[in-house]
Amino acid sequence: MTHIAIADQTAHLHHPKTFIGKYIWSQDHKVIAIQYSVTAIFVGLIALLLSVLMRLQLGFPGEFNFISPDAYLQFVTMHGMIMVIYLLTALLLGGFGNYLIPLMVGTRDMVFPYLNMLSYWFYLASVIVLLSSFFVTGGPTGAGWTLYPPQSILAGTPGAGSGIVLMLLSLTIFIIAFTMGGLNYVTTIFQARTRGMTLMRMPLTIWGILTATILGLLAFPALLVSAIMMLFDALLGTSFFMPAIVSLGEPLNHEGGSPILFQHLFWFFGHPEVYIVALPAFGMVSDVLSVHARKNIFGYRMMVWAIVIIGGLSFIVWAHHMYVSGMNPYFGFFFATTTLIIAVPTAIKVYNWVLTLWRGNIHLTVPMLFAIGFIFTFTHGGLSGLFLGNVVVDLPLSDTFFVVAHFHMVMGVSPIMVLFAALYHWFPLVSGKQLHTGLGKVHFWGTFLGTYAIYLPMHYLGFLGVPRRYYALGDTSFIPESAHVLNEDITIAAIIVALFQLVFVVNVIWTLRSGPRSVRNPWGVASLEWHTPDVPPAHGNWGDALPTVHRWAYDYSVPGAKQDFIPQHVAEENVEYEAGGRRVGEGE
Amino acid sequence: MGWFGILSEKPWIPEAQGTSAEWGRTAYTPAVKISLRFMLGIISVFFLLFFVTFISRSQYDDFLALAGEPWQPFTNSMRLWINSGVLVLASVAMQGAVYALRRNHHFRLLVLLATGAVLAILFIILQISVWQFLAGMGYSVAGNPANSYFYILTGLHVLHLVGGLVALGRVVNSLREEGDLQNRHAAIEACAVYWHYLLGLWFVLFFMLTRTPETYALIAAACGLG
Repeated sequence: MTHIAIADQTAHLHHPKTFIGKYIWSQDHKVIAIQYSVTAIFVGLIALLLSVLMRLQLGFPGEFNFISPDAYLQFVTMHGMIMVIYLLTALLLGGFGNYLIPLMVGTRDMVFPYLNMLSYWFYLASVIVLLSSFFVTGGPTGAGWTLYPPQSILAGTPGAGSGIVLMLLSLTIFIIAFTMGGLNYVTTIFQARTRGMTLMRMPLTIWGILTATILGLLAFPALLVSAIMMLFDALLGTSFFMPAIVSLGEPLNHEGGSPILFQHLFWFFGHPEVYIVALPAFGMVSDVLSVHARKNIFGYRMMVWAIVIIGGLSFIVWAHHMYVSGMNPYFGFFFATTTLIIAVPTAIKVYNWVLTLWRGNIHLTVPMLFAIGFIFTFTHGGLSGLFLGNVVVDLPLSDTFFVVAHFHMVMGVSPIMVLFAALYHWFPLVSGKQLHTGLGKVHFWGTFLGTYAIYLPMHYLGFLGVPRRYYALGDTSFIPESAHVLNEDITIAAIIVALFQLVFVVNVIWTLRSGPRSVRNPWGVASLEWHTPDVPPAHGNWGDALPTVHRWAYDYSVPGAKQDFIPQHVAEENVEYEAGGRRVGEGE
Repeated sequence: MGWFGILSEKPWIPEAQGTSAEWGRTAYTPAVKISLRFMLGIISVFFLLFFVTFISRSQYDDFLALAGEPWQPFTNSMRLWINSGVLVLASVAMQGAVYALRRNHHFRLLVLLATGAVLAILFIILQISVWQFLAGMGYSVAGNPANSYFYILTGLHVLHLVGGLVALGRVVNSLREEGDLQNRHAAIEACAVYWHYLLGLWFVLFFMLTRTPETYALIAAACGLG
């Protein structure tokens, strides 16, 4: 049945006239995406600074008087929470999701632009509430990013008063923001795709964002439930998670609550969160690899299936984060099995990325360098995950630096590599200017080699049994002097990597101020977002008429075709072939 | 085409020359309907997680159910039945509004939407009176986990109803403007579905919060939480 969906109708577009309407209270998905991205990067830089401060303490204990044990724990906590939720989730879905979904599926905007605008302002409010905890009495919470009760709300833990309350409130506001945004993303993808854009013609970026958004919509409620119940425990004295307990010599009024219940709820959210971050990254890196290798993605269907299967499996592995909390051995067996099964679709993806590069016409552009770097870091992080997924191996390694190294490789460095690949790749579309290649390469090598210098030795520290979350190791007999030297080296590497990020900041500022204009579609991309009438795309994206899609997004180096890519909106009869080249439908 | 069919497509095979592009969708579903389905799914997961924790917590020694013995507040749950009746009527009014919409009876549509909203507000007021009744009997929020769950779950249900009222207000307001008729119809139908959903959810809450310890033990055993 022919129809016009809401997002196709130019009459429904909100056309702002004033500066405030265009750039502040904007309902344009592109402006909202930039608002999300700038806020997320800003708060991410704060988290980066926090990580440097905590590394200074670990590398040179006792040298920096302003880093007290309380401050150290607060840095650890805020670094983790900001990076996972307020940077990665917000930038990948709020930033790239907002920018790319309407452009890649060929619509004028999100289906609910007003809700989309609200989503950003709620996100900003959640960031402000979170950061305000630095300025309240007692400072931010230092309970660790997992916020485990009872210690997170007990006196003695840094920020046990206002800090934890502000953290829980901030998370609640963030989840409301995400839900408003997420409903928009899934509805836009399901309802407002342009003519010819079947689900299986969508770029893998959209598949990754779609699946991650559905995961988020179903997993964030678990965090919300635990946040609400913990707020009640902290503020009203209920006993959902709080057992009978004596604190600082005084028995408290709580009785009978179950801290393990919180852990189950937290990780029912926490593990899908890994894939909320990873799946959009998987999608984007697939597209970047395909474009810069001038070759179609290897095994598109299998890539889609793998994304969907990983999304489904991610809901039944959560208790592998809780092996040391104690559980029925059969549960341990079950969760170890499901965890290892996830390695199968994930390995399929890694093979397909490598096979996409195989015999491709690889252009070692900056986005491609970051994308290839991702394959390395993700494979390394994934392999150490196989160790930790097994109960018997996890128990001795739990709460050591091995775990820290593992999850930083797999969900810290790897998504960041993809984010940079994506930022360098789509920057010409967003700004009309291309980031400086030389500075980009300096940024890549500094980041790629630097992160290895941080995290490879960290695995070794973990094997030695060096525990995580400790302010100082002191004179511990089982930790040799070499571990302290390694800790110093890691700190120096971390500072160098942090400084290399300034190269990126300088590159962005310099390019925006005085960089040359980019040519249109500089990478020769086939997917729709690069084929808008205006670059950067104007409000409404598509001028008078929406594009019609005739093919998938990966027609690169098509045999016989004159151009090395065929855009998605070009019909077969309009494709130019070399003399003697084959046209579809001919000779069949 | 089902999901299996969709996921089995081979998009790398280009269209033959001269064939027009297919629509990406087989049938038109308004955006508001799709987003409502997702939203109801999210709310269901949200409350389901609460129920799991509730049943698990109900098996601890300190949990004192709100029904079972004569002195407990919901052994006689007449108050809650009255509230349920009001919410049923609100749902009936909203369904009536959908019928009025289909028959183009605009005045009746507005009256029934207003009735649905007023009855929902009345339900909220009656729920607040139940909280006052409980507090008056000494059943404070922190007094016992059963009380805590009652306040928190009924409170969250009321919050969802308030959200529905705000959405209904926006829909009614949009009726005065020019716009796509099909989408406005879908929005009113979505409000009615949301009212029915919250009624169903209320009955689940009613059932869950007013059982005896024996019933909780049975449910917990059935869920493997006993």
